[in-house]
Amino acid sequence: MSKFEISNGKKIVKPFNKIWIVLGVVIVLIIIFWQFITYNTAMFNLGELSVIFKQLFTPKNTILEQRTWSDYFEFMWELREPLWITIQMSLGGTIIGSILAVPVAIFASRNIFKNKYINAPFRFLMNIIRTIPLMLLVIIGVAMVGTGVLSGIIGYTVFSFGIMAKMFYEVIETADMSPFEALESTGANRLQAFSYAIVPQVFISFVSFLFYIFELNIRASAILGFVGINGIGEAISVNNLYNYDRVGATVIVLFVFILILQLINSHIRGKLE
Amino acid sequence: MRNAEKVLSRKPKRWLINLFFGIALILALFISFQGSTINLIRLASFRYALRAMFNGFREINVEFLLGFGTYRFEEGITYMAFQTLAIAFIGTFIGAILALPISFLASERIVGKKAAKIGITVITIIRVFPEVILALIILKAIGMNPLTCVIAIGIHSIGMLGRMFSESIDNMDYSPIEALDAVGANTWQKIRFGILPQVIPELASTTLYRFDINIRSASVLGVIGTLAGGFGALLLLAGSDPNNQWDTIAALLVVIVIMVLIVDSVSAYLRKKLV
Repeated sequence: MSKFEISNGKKIVKPFNKIWIVLGVVIVLIIIFWQFITYNTAMFNLGELSVIFKQLFTPKNTILEQRTWSDYFEFMWELREPLWITIQMSLGGTIIGSILAVPVAIFASRNIFKNKYINAPFRFLMNIIRTIPLMLLVIIGVAMVGTGVLSGIIGYTVFSFGIMAKMFYEVIETADMSPFEALESTGANRLQAFSYAIVPQVFISFVSFLFYIFELNIRASAILGFVGINGIGEAISVNNLYNYDRVGATVIVLFVFILILQLINSHIRGKLE
Repeated sequence: MRNAEKVLSRKPKRWLINLFFGIALILALFISFQGSTINLIRLASFRYALRAMFNGFREINVEFLLGFGTYRFEEGITYMAFQTLAIAFIGTFIGAILALPISFLASERIVGKKAAKIGITVITIIRVFPEVILALIILKAIGMNPLTCVIAIGIHSIGMLGRMFSESIDNMDYSPIEALDAVGANTWQKIRFGILPQVIPELASTTLYRFDINIRSASVLGVIGTLAGGFGALLLLAGSDPNNQWDTIAALLVVIVIMVLIVDSVSAYLRKKLV
């Protein structure tokens, strides 16, 4: 803390900057957390990075196996089957989960149901479900109905439900309430008022959230192969360590598919608005 | 009356859109369930699966959960939770540090429209790779350990953080910088007194939000290998034979839900204080 004296004799104390406290806390936390990060410098081999990038995006070329570019593209074409499984899982999960989320989101929004005791349990449910990772949900699905599309749909449904409920209730809460009140004053009940005053305002958001969640689900599927779940993630986990060219091909396919999804989404949103 | 009828007939055909939308949804559902057979034996045992699940919650191995008794603390799930927190925290920190210069490069108002394209391209390329792929690449260079997850999460965070940072820098009020120019401040002083005080709360809030996301991805990123840290080993165990691992699944569920809930509420509280 430094003090200044200006010409009229007044003393000014420069306020202590709180940012130093924050920085100190962050540094202490990093030092504590660093104890949990174990590593072995003997295994460091940074030169491998450029090698692996080459392996990812060119056909495999070793003494034992030699592949050509046509093999590379053929593998991309073969990926349509796991990709289709992933699409089925995400599509079913997104639609069912989002539809289930709508009533919960309505009950959780404070401007439709003004009673705090009605909102609270629904919000609690939403928050709890949102914390469970997709991978655990799909594992539970597999344990219940066995491997296959159905288990994926179960997992993705719960996951999509959590995200949609959270995002949709935020949209409902920020909607303009004056048409709702106007309709209520003309004698409409709450359901009628909601469907004529709020639904037109939030419908477009709902549709764009549907696409967003679908895209999120496709993205999230990349990691699921490691715990033995069918879909595009399988192509990554099975070929990991040995066939890096196939992993690279999967990444390209996934990227192009997500890009197409984003383009369709922005196109449809432009049409609806 | 006639006029009213005319107006009514000019009303947009809302039902047509709704019908189209509904048919599309039903069709999509139909497609997604194609090929998924309902196994009657499975369906009959569904009851038992549910019961096994709730039994799993009762049979949680508390010693394993907290890491005492027959287990060392380093073997317990609580240790894994702290490790996950560590991976997410340090990863987010690395991501934020790296995103800062890139975001200045990507902001149109600081480096100009043409130069901003470079930064934007870097951000877009980083966003292409899913976290798993990044982790698999880094694994080659660093080996199978938690540090791999830290770096993967750090690099993946640059994508979103860089874009949001550059947006907040673009939306900044530039009059303080002009004022500093007028009194003869040098570049560092302009950054220190003109830019940083404005953007730091927003950047911190964005970083905290990213921490929320990273804690979720850190808890599953460990599956790239048993030694990769976090809950990886347990998730692999649960995934290998989900039918008989209900107690593991239940323990994971409890720990992850509590951990993420705490992180969520702390970061929400801090973000509310910041803005």
